[in-house]
Amino acid sequence: RRLPSQMSIHDLPHYNPSLSDSRGIQVPVLSKVELWKQEKLKKLRKFQTQAREFLYFLVLWGKTIQKIGGNFGGGVKSYFLFLRFLVVLNFLSFLLIAGFVIIPSLVFRQVGTSFMNSTGEVLVKSKICTIYEPNPPGLVVFYNFFLDLLSGTGFMEYSFMFYGYYNNTMVGNSSFSYKIPLAYLFTAFRLTPSFLTGRSHSMGSAARVAVATGGSTVVNYSMIVFNGWNFGCLGETATKLKQKNLLYRLQVDLEEESLKKRAASLTLLKKFGLHSLRLLMALLVLGLNIAAFYGIYYATTYSQEQQNKRVNKESDGVQDLFFEYLPSIVISVANFLVPLLCDQIAKVEHYSPSITVIVALLRAVVLRFVGLGVLLFTLWNQITCTGNMDDAKCKECSYNYASYACWETRVGQEMYKLTLFDLLINIAVLVLVEFPRRMVVDNWSSKVSQMVGRQEFVVSSNVLGLVYSQTVVWTGALFCPLLPLINTVKFVILFYCKKITLFSNCRPPQKTFRSTTSAFFFLVVLLLGWMLASVVMIYSIAVIHPSRGCGPFRFSDNMWSIIPTSFYNLSAATQEFLFFIGSQAFTIPLFSLSGLVMCYVIALFSIYGKSVGLLRLHIGHELTRFFSIFPFLL
Amino acid sequence: MGTTASQLDKGMLSEYQELTFLTKQEILLAYKRFSELLPKEETNGLSYRIPMNAILELPELKTNPFNKRICMVFSTSDSHDGSLSFDDFLDLLSAFSDSATLEIKSHYAFRIFDFDDDGTLGRQDLEKLVNCLTGGTVDTSLTPEEMKQLIDNILEESDIDKDGTVNLSEFQHVISRSPDFVSSFKIVL
Repeated sequence: RRLPSQMSIHDLPHYNPSLSDSRGIQVPVLSKVELWKQEKLKKLRKFQTQAREFLYFLVLWGKTIQKIGGNFGGGVKSYFLFLRFLVVLNFLSFLLIAGFVIIPSLVFRQVGTSFMNSTGEVLVKSKICTIYEPNPPGLVVFYNFFLDLLSGTGFMEYSFMFYGYYNNTMVGNSSFSYKIPLAYLFTAFRLTPSFLTGRSHSMGSAARVAVATGGSTVVNYSMIVFNGWNFGCLGETATKLKQKNLLYRLQVDLEEESLKKRAASLTLLKKFGLHSLRLLMALLVLGLNIAAFYGIYYATTYSQEQQNKRVNKESDGVQDLFFEYLPSIVISVANFLVPLLCDQIAKVEHYSPSITVIVALLRAVVLRFVGLGVLLFTLWNQITCTGNMDDAKCKECSYNYASYACWETRVGQEMYKLTLFDLLINIAVLVLVEFPRRMVVDNWSSKVSQMVGRQEFVVSSNVLGLVYSQTVVWTGALFCPLLPLINTVKFVILFYCKKITLFSNCRPPQKTFRSTTSAFFFLVVLLLGWMLASVVMIYSIAVIHPSRGCGPFRFSDNMWSIIPTSFYNLSAATQEFLFFIGSQAFTIPLFSLSGLVMCYVIALFSIYGKSVGLLRLHIGHELTRFFSIFPFLL
Repeated sequence: MGTTASQLDKGMLSEYQELTFLTKQEILLAYKRFSELLPKEETNGLSYRIPMNAILELPELKTNPFNKRICMVFSTSDSHDGSLSFDDFLDLLSAFSDSATLEIKSHYAFRIFDFDDDGTLGRQDLEKLVNCLTGGTVDTSLTPEEMKQLIDNILEESDIDKDGTVNLSEFQHVISRSPDFVSSFKIVL
C-alpha cells in the first residue's frame, strides 16, 4: 500500500477501496522526519492563531468591534476602528499637553512668584490693551453655572480650559529651566510626527494592496464567484444575508459595466446633452454650497456681535445661549440639508453607481471643510478687522481689543461650542429620531413604515462627521488645551451611543461598502482636515498678534518669536549644529536626495503594476502554448 | 467520552492523524458527532454509512447552499447516493480543516462546483454555481441577460485556453491569486 500521506485515509488496512482510483491524487512520499516537521509546523501555526486571537481581545473594545464586524460587515467595522483610532490619538495628545503644559503650570502657580520671572519688556502702546477681566463682579445665579458650562464663559473662561489662564512663566536656575510658552508651542506641533508616522504606515499598506491586486478599477468576476462563499457561515439569517450581499455586489458590477458600454456607444448629440446637464447640476450644487457658506458667515457675524454687545458680560438667559450657538446650528443644518438635496440632484445626473458615491462623498467633504473654513475666516475678520491694522478698532493693540480682550480664548470657546453641539446633536438624533423610528416600524405595520423600514447605518456620512470633529479639535487645541480631553470623552460617549443604535435600531446593510478603498479614503480626508487645522495654527502663530492681556505670549509680538529667543539661550555648539541643519549646505542635498528616493519609489510602483499585467498575459500565452503541444492533456 | 472513545483505539487514532490534516481532538470530536447521527441499534460506527439527509441535519452543513454537492463529492458509496461513512466524514473535515493546503482545498472546491461531474466547469455549472451563491429563488437571482453577461465575463477572465470551460488548472490559477480562499473554505465542528 502507499506509504502514509496526508491525502486520503482510504489506505487504511480495514477499508476496502472501491472507487479510490478516481479520486487518487498523487502525492510525494513523506519520510518520518518530514512528517515530524510538518506536525511541529501545524502546532506552531495553531499556536500563532490562538495567540493572535487572545491579543485581539485585550485591545480596547476588541471584542465589541469583532462582534460588529461579524453582524454588520466590513464597512461598519471600519467606522468603529476609525473611531477607536481617534480616541487613542486624542487621549495621547491630551497626555502630552497635560505632562508638558498643564502640570507645570499648576506646579509653578503653587510654588509662587519667587521662582518666576517674566522676561520681555512690556512694549505696550497703551496700557488699556493689557486689561482683561474674565470674571465680572456681581451675583452669579445658579442657572448661570449651567449656561457658563455650555458656552465656556464665566468660571470656565479663566481656567485651565482656555489659553487665557496660562502665564508667561519661565522657571530657571542653574540646573533646570522650563519655559511654559515654549512647551505650549511645542505641544501644539505634537500632532505632526504622531500623525505622519502612524498613518503613513497604514496608507502605505493600503497602497501596496492596490498595486498587488492590479488596481481596484478592474472587477474580477471569477474571483467573486469562485471565492465568494464563506463555508464557515452558520445559520439561516447569516446565509441569506451573505447571499443578498453577493447578489447586490454582482448586480452593481454588472450594471456599471453595461452603463460604461452604453455610455461609450452614445451618439454625439446625446453626449453633449448629458454633459451640459451634468454641468448645470454641478453649478446648482455650487450655488447651494455658496448659499450655505453665506448662511454660516452671517450667522457667525451676528453671533459675535451679540456676544460683544452683552452688558457686563453676563449671560442673559436662553436667548443668549441660542445666539452663541447660532453658527453651530447653521453648520449642522447645512450639513444635513445640502447633502440631501445633492442626493436628489445626483439622480438626474446619471453617473455610474461607484462614481455617484465618490461624487457625493466629495461634495460632503467640501461642504464640511469649507463651512468650517468660512467660520474661522469670519472670526479672523472680526479679530483683526479684516487684516487692516489701520482700522480704528485695531490700531491701538494690533487686534480688535474692544470686542476681544483675549481673542484666543474666544476662538477656543467657539471650537468648544462646536464640539459640544456636535455631541448634543448626535445624542438628540439618537433619542428623538432613531429610537422612535424603530418603534414605529416595528409596531405599526403599514405601507409607509414598510417602505421606510429600519434605518441603515450610513458609514460615509458618519465618518465625515468624525473627521469634522477631529479637525475642529485640532484647530482649537492651540487655544483650548483641554479640548483633546473633552474630545476623548466625547468620542467614547459617541462610540457607545453608535453601538447602541447599531444593535437596536439598524438592520444589517443590504449594500456592501468596499472597505479597502474606503479605509484609504478616510485617511485622505483626515489628512485634509489636518492640513486645514495646520494652516489655521500656523497663521495664528506667525501672523496675528497675541493678546496683550492674557496668555503665555502676552509680551511677544507673535507666538513664534519665543522660539528664536530661547534658541539663543542654547549652548554654542547646539546653535551651530542647528544652524548647519537649517543652512543651504545641508538642506539642498537633503531635498535632492529625498526627491531622488521619491522618484525611485514612484518608478518601482508603476513598474510593479505593469509587471503584474504583463505576467498575467504571459501566463495566458504559456498555457495556450502548452495545451497546443499536448492537446490530450485538456 | 466514555463508550464512544473505546471504539476508536489509539492505533487507529494515530493512523487517522497521519493520513488527514486533523488533530487528535478534532478526530475525537468528529467521531462523537458522527456517532450522534448513528441509529440506536448500530454498534460499529466505523463501517456504517449515514444517509445524506441525516448528514445534512448537522448545523454546519444545514444552511450551506453547497451541502448536497459536498456530500456527493466526499461520498464513496457505490450507489452515488451521497451517504458518508466515517472515513468519508473525516476526509471531508480534513479537506475543510485549518491546516489543509491550498492545492487540496482548491481541488475539492473544483469538484464541488462541478455540478455535472464532467471534470470541467461549463456554462451550466457556472450558472448553477451563481444561483447557489445568490439564493436561487426567483427574486434573489440575476436576470438571464445579467447571467449571460456574468458568465461571459468569467470565461473571458479565467478561460485561458479558450475552450469555453474552466478546467482545474485555470480554476486553481484564479484561486491562487486570492489571499483569503483558505480561510473561507473552512468548516470547523
